[in-house]
Formats: sequence, C-alpha cells, structure tokens
Amino acid sequence: MTFAERMLKIDRRIIFLVIGLCTLLPLLYPVGLPVRISSEVRGVYDHIESMPERSVFLLSLDFDPASKPELHPQAIALLRHAFRKNLRVVAMTLWVAGTGMADQLLTQVAKEMGRENGKDYAFLGWSPGGTAVIINMGQNLYSTFPSDYGGKPTKGLPVLEGVQSLKDVNYMVSLAAGNPGVEAWYVFGKDKYKFELGGGCTGVMAPGLYPLLRSGQINGLIGGLRGAAEYESLIGQKGKAVAGMDAQSATHVAIVVLVIICNLFYFSLRQQRGG
Amino acid sequence: MIFLRRQLPLLITMITGLLFAGQYYVPHPASEQLLTSATKWLQIIGGFALVLGVTSLFHQHAAKIRRKEAGWGYSLVLYAGMLGTIGVGLWANGKESVDGAMTAFGWVYSFMMVPLQGTMFAILAFFIASAAYRSFRARSREAAVLLIAAVIVMMGRVPLGEYLIPLSGDVSQWILNVLNASVRRAILIGVSLGAVALSFKIIFGVERSYLGGSKE
Repeated sequence: MTFAERMLKIDRRIIFLVIGLCTLLPLLYPVGLPVRISSEVRGVYDHIESMPERSVFLLSLDFDPASKPELHPQAIALLRHAFRKNLRVVAMTLWVAGTGMADQLLTQVAKEMGRENGKDYAFLGWSPGGTAVIINMGQNLYSTFPSDYGGKPTKGLPVLEGVQSLKDVNYMVSLAAGNPGVEAWYVFGKDKYKFELGGGCTGVMAPGLYPLLRSGQINGLIGGLRGAAEYESLIGQKGKAVAGMDAQSATHVAIVVLVIICNLFYFSLRQQRGG
Repeated sequence: MIFLRRQLPLLITMITGLLFAGQYYVPHPASEQLLTSATKWLQIIGGFALVLGVTSLFHQHAAKIRRKEAGWGYSLVLYAGMLGTIGVGLWANGKESVDGAMTAFGWVYSFMMVPLQGTMFAILAFFIASAAYRSFRARSREAAVLLIAAVIVMMGRVPLGEYLIPLSGDVSQWILNVLNASVRRAILIGVSLGAVALSFKIIFGVERSYLGGSKE
C-alpha cells in the first residue's frame, strides 16, 4: 500500500481528534476575531430598532434541545434587544420538546432585563396541531392559547392588550430548526394575516431560506451561530455565539484543509495509476 | 360496505378540498368561522396523533422485547426512559418548576433530555468531517465545481476564513444570494406545482392510495 493510499484510508479517529482539538482549544484560548455584519441579520435588527415602544413582538422558538447551541444564542440576543426597546414580547413554540427550554430562556432573559411576566412578556407554551396552530392564531389567539404556560388566562393579560389575532402582531420572528418553522409561518401566517416576518435558523437550513429572503417574504435571516454572533455584535452584548465563532472558525478551516489534503492524495494516486 | 370504504371518503375529500380551497378567497365572517372550527378540529386530531404515535412506539418495542430481537436491550432502555419520564411528569403535574424550585420532571428535562439531544447533534460535526475527508473528491468537473463552491462558502462564513481569504466573504454571499437562491427557487416552484397537481388528483379521486389497501 502506497503512502497516498494509506493517507486516504486514514483512521477516522485521527480526524475526530483533529476536530475535537479545533473545537476545544479556541474555547479555552479565545482569539476574538471580529465578525462582519451581513445584510440578512441587519434586516432583523433594523426592523426591531425601528419599532415604537410597547409594539407587539411575537417570538416563536421552534426548536428542540438538539439545536440549542445555534438557536439559543440567537433567542437570547433577540430577547435582550426586544426588552431593551421596551417591546411587548409574546413567546411560544411549535415544537413540544422545546417548551421547557423556551420557558427557561425567556424567564432568564426577562429577569436579567428586569421585565415582568404578564405585563412585559408572556410565554404561551405549546399547542398541538403544528401549522393548524398558526392558522388558529390568525383567527383567534385566545382560542388557541386560552392560558399561558403558567396556567394564567391569556384574556386580560396587559401584555396582550389590543391583541386579538396574528393581525395585531407588529413583528414576528421564528427561530426554527426544521418544520414547522419559518416557511410554515410564512405560508400559513404572514401570507394570510399580513404581519412582518423575520427568521432565524440553524446553519444547515439557512441556504434553503434564501429564496424567501430575496423575494422579501421574510425581511431578515439570522443563520446559525454566525448569525447569532452578528446579532450579539449589533446589540453590543457579546455572548456564547461570539465565543463559539473561534471554535467554528478553526473547525471550518480544519475541514477545508482535510478536504484539500484528501484531494492531493487522490490526484497523486490517480497519477501513479496512470490517470 | 364499498360505499363506506371508498365512495364516502372520496366524497368527503372532494367536498372539504374544494370548500377550503375556496375559503381562502372568501373573507366573509361565516367563511372565517368555518376556518376557525376546522383548524380547532385539526388541533384536536393533532393531539390524538400524539397518543397514537406513543402507543404505536410502545407496541413496536414491546414486540421486540418479547421476541428478544437483536438490540432488544435498547427497547428496554426506551421503555424505562419513557415510563420514567411519564411517571415523574404525572408526579410533578407536568410542571418543570414550582415557585422557582425545579421539579423532578424539570430535572429530567434539563439534565437528561437537553444534554442528550445536544450531544447527538454535536457528534454530527465529527462524522461530517470524516465523511468530507473520505468522499469530497474532485472526481469529475461537476464534483470539482461543487468542491470549490463548498470551500469558498465554508471559508466565507467564518471570521478566520475571511481573514485568510479576504474575498471569500463576498463571494460566499454571492453564491448564497444568487446561485443558491435561484436554484432553490426553481426547486420550490417545481415542488409547489407538483403539490398543486397532487392535491387536484386527491380532491378529484384520481389518486386514492391514501385510502390504503387494495382489497374492495
């Protein structure tokens, strides 16, 4: 077996070790390279920035713990921004496995920003039906969620004053790890009930949402950990996403180097065998 | 019996299909009320689907354990996990915290489910790197184009990549905004046209596989 052949059949544990080190070392010794702000992320930021105080901001946390590393920092940054702008935050989820995590997240950020449950924010929790929940909310929010996650009746909550359905929402962002997510909120929500929509998603999902972004169906897109890092930089409160970007940088470069090496060995082997 | 098994479901499908396709274009309060009722029903049926799913999972794994099939131990772990979670969930009345104090259910969620799901997803990075090393080769011109585009996007999406190759950021944005968006849009239009065509076939009874079984 030639050297090139041996290198092409390298033990995958060596690759695992390289990726492990590339993830771990930057987390232990952060470099803090600056993150360039993209127009997609700025779209969401600028819209929230332009909203008057006490506007209604609906945040749907459509993800489960598997996508926590990417979408949790996005949610934290968005909530910090919304609370800082003194918006009325209404949060919910279409993913049952994410309910507890969404509640913890909202409570934690609201406490940090000194916001009051029921007055400044509400967590509606989860309701079965997937996309049917969106249509139902468009018809009547109170029949879809008669009580919030804590069991308090939603009717009469100061945070929902003047809100009857999705038509009364000023801005809505879905942070999604799959379906139902951003696309479902557009098809079953914005298209019929006419509210402004923004999106956030995992890195692998982002390319799939670009057609919606380019056609103006969503006014901004926060993609993956990079998007979260950009948002953290925009609000001037750097957190886990900015810290994680060093690790992601090193891992991406490591994978690119591995792919280049593998191709070099592949071509050298092909040359040895006469094309 | 054939009427109940075949004609009636086909008739219900046709009437409801046409009714709700038309409903979208009629903003009359009665039409909106119809939609509200229908979606409420959908939500209730969604709840039943959850029960059906859990029951089916229980049956499937019970059979595996009974027959001692390969990997039946995992089914046992699934049973223990599911029953344990249901048990603590009922005990805690479905609440993850009471007066700020975490319940057993909250503990299971925060310290078992969250890290386990996170770990499963994190492992992907290692396998993707290994798979990329083994299979991402420029075997043809098309594969070479894909490889170059992937390298540019991977470099352009991280600060270190943009630092090492300053143009990669702009080029990756162009790839995502122009090439990727147009191809995705073409796929979306194709899929949507296919969905519309399939919907018509279902509504008018041409496509009947959803009725299940071929026995009359």
